[in-house]
Amino acid sequence: MPSWYESLVEEARLAALTLLDRAEELANPTLRLGITGLSRAGKTVFTTALVHALMRGERMPVFRAMHEGRIARASLEPQPDDAVPRFDYEGHLATLVDERRWPESTRRISELRLVVDYAPARGGKRSLTLDILDYPGEWLLDLPLLGQSYADFAAQSLNLARAPARAPLAAPFLAALAATAPEVPADEAQARQLAALFTDYLAACRAEAVSMSLLPPGRFLMPGDLEGSPALTFAPIDLSPGAEAPPGSLHAMMARRFEAYKERVVRPFFRDHFARLDRQIVLIDVLAALNAGPAALADLEAALDGILAAFRIGRDSWLGALFRHRIDKVLFAATKADHLHHASHDRLEAILRRLVERALARAESTGTEIDVVALAAVRATREASVKRGRTTMPAIIGVPEAGQHGADAFDGLAEAAVFPGDLPDNPAALFDPTLGFRGLSDAEGGDFRFLRFRPPLVMRNAEGVPLALPHIRLDRALDFLLGDRLR
Amino acid sequence: MTDKSPASGHRRPQAFRLDDPDVVVAEDGRPAPRGAIVVTPSLAVPEAEETPPLPAPPPSASRWTTLFWSGLGGLVSLGLGLAVSKLIEDLFARADWLGYTGLAFAALFVVGALAILGRELFGLMRLRTLNALREQAAEAIAKDDRKQAEAVTRELMALAKTSPRLFRARTELAGHLDAIIDGADLVRLTERHLMAPLDSEATRLVSDAAKRVSVVTAVSPRAAVDLIFVLLTAVSLVRRLALLYGGRPGALGMFRLFRQVIAHLAVTGGMAAGDSLLQQLVGHGIAAKLSARLGEGVVNGLLTARLGLAAIEVTRPLPFAALPAPALSDVASGLIARKDSEKDEPKQG
Repeated sequence: MPSWYESLVEEARLAALTLLDRAEELANPTLRLGITGLSRAGKTVFTTALVHALMRGERMPVFRAMHEGRIARASLEPQPDDAVPRFDYEGHLATLVDERRWPESTRRISELRLVVDYAPARGGKRSLTLDILDYPGEWLLDLPLLGQSYADFAAQSLNLARAPARAPLAAPFLAALAATAPEVPADEAQARQLAALFTDYLAACRAEAVSMSLLPPGRFLMPGDLEGSPALTFAPIDLSPGAEAPPGSLHAMMARRFEAYKERVVRPFFRDHFARLDRQIVLIDVLAALNAGPAALADLEAALDGILAAFRIGRDSWLGALFRHRIDKVLFAATKADHLHHASHDRLEAILRRLVERALARAESTGTEIDVVALAAVRATREASVKRGRTTMPAIIGVPEAGQHGADAFDGLAEAAVFPGDLPDNPAALFDPTLGFRGLSDAEGGDFRFLRFRPPLVMRNAEGVPLALPHIRLDRALDFLLGDRLR
Repeated sequence: MTDKSPASGHRRPQAFRLDDPDVVVAEDGRPAPRGAIVVTPSLAVPEAEETPPLPAPPPSASRWTTLFWSGLGGLVSLGLGLAVSKLIEDLFARADWLGYTGLAFAALFVVGALAILGRELFGLMRLRTLNALREQAAEAIAKDDRKQAEAVTRELMALAKTSPRLFRARTELAGHLDAIIDGADLVRLTERHLMAPLDSEATRLVSDAAKRVSVVTAVSPRAAVDLIFVLLTAVSLVRRLALLYGGRPGALGMFRLFRQVIAHLAVTGGMAAGDSLLQQLVGHGIAAKLSARLGEGVVNGLLTARLGLAAIEVTRPLPFAALPAPALSDVASGLIARKDSEKDEPKQG
């Protein structure tokens, strides 16, 4: 099948789906909000807090529609896609409130439908259906694979694996790779061994002291129900440029499985979910990258570039808008802002702005609205100042999770005041290879240490419903994402 | 507890357990022993962030003008003093009791004049505070500066303390002050809370005045009567608006306020004329066909409405950022009924 024919069919399918969506939207205004972020960025917590905030409607002074009292109520409704798991809002909220534990992380796509009854500013009564789609950001990194051949993919990921920051982690995989050749006959056992070693290497890159972000293919780390299937049993191998795959060779088998991965895994996600989004929020854990060091920060930047390339951003003509979904607002959020004193929030935002600079420039020309914000969907700390000798440090107080910072320092029960380090005034200093900063893996210890804190104590009211969760700028994020549709 | 390196220039990350014996939490109220690490939980910003200083505003009046007015003022007061002392001397020359009576009156005059002067100065200062507040708020929005915004909000809340109808809004706002909200958002929040009820009241005041002026002009027997009426209404309108938004203008304050209103009108008049010129012409044309006096009434009413809008912009302590500024059609609804009915129609879709 020629590729232009394939892409034509794909576009036609997308157009048909979009037309269907538009027809439904006429009867029932709907907004599809995508929530994504690389793993541990806090997607689940953000989604839970967002739904809770909309349903409770307290402590949201900057979210205008809510503050003006124009939102009567928001209620959960059965979701439209029967094949997608439901986002377990109640379960996650209970974990957060009762056990004071952060909920399990997002390992697959999930969906939740909220219907918001509101009054437009000029009076009347309307309802807006909000479909919230929560999916791992790693899947976005797969989207560029759609345009790549197996040879491109192999060359790229082996280049990454041999980079200095990753080479030690990839050593077992690279050793196994050196012992084989593309032309050997295909052998399932060998393919499985290579795929397992490759997956181990990707998983090792995610450890806290390294915190790498650019780790395609995404499903290797989050296989879901595809675990063990041939579409996930491949690995990049060394190929000489322009080499043809002899039939029955290892090369041919790997290439075929890579194509299957694209067709069966990546393309359906793109068509059924990603291409139909209206709004998108990308959560980014900048602090974890700062914890880990310059290599992690550079890797995060590269991963964000990959994510940004996936967005079909920009407003089109009205005819185009009928057949083609476009994401018209994207919010980049640096999560866990409560791990910092609020005097540093502006600096955190500046660092984030620097990370997504290219997307901002591109969006300006297409008319997409892009904003960056430092937020905490659930605020786990309060602020303080610590005076030690003659120096005063802005600090935060919270209950650090057990098992961090050495073996016995924190038991997960006692409160601690933490000064996490000064963020630089000028974000360029972090990205400058000559200045640099030290990560956790450095012998002398890192320049920054952002601890993980336990969730705050939240009371329940007489009916057993948890009260509003404390947050930082969640209301501003909501106002940006939903405000214009609730006018 | 973790890193004992001295904090010099570059500060290393550090963590302190609150149950550590070396750590003292200030909210317990215990005095801190020497060498202890003191933790003060707070929401206040501990250290000042440096912001680039703004260029100094140009001097408001020229030095020669100041010289002229101080000279003239000095001469006039000297002349007045001389006249009074001469009068009292003359009175003493005629009879002692007349002289003492004159002296008593002079003392009353001085006390009264001082009190009035003090009130005027207070009014002027209040006016200056409001103007400065508006500039600060605009700056806080532009720079998204939290600290400045908080200062603006606190000052406005202090100003609104005397207004019982803002009590609820003020309490709510005080609750939000502790949350982490960005500077620009905080100013907009303050505006929505404190200004919204005042704005609707101000719109009503202007609208009433415009209606009154147009009716009186239409029925008044002489041109002189409606001229005086228009002037009086304008003065009282500006005064009531200033009172509404927290100003306490005396005579001097009113004079300065009026000057600002007229200046503002001159700047914005041209722009505002563009949006509703057609309505005015049509309204005036039809009314003038019916009767010349009716046409004049409409014109005078529109003029008052314009003046009122300019006065709102000048007296309001916050710029219109979150709320829409009232338009001519909002206050001149009684005069231009056609446009009004168009606006109230709910737009579907």
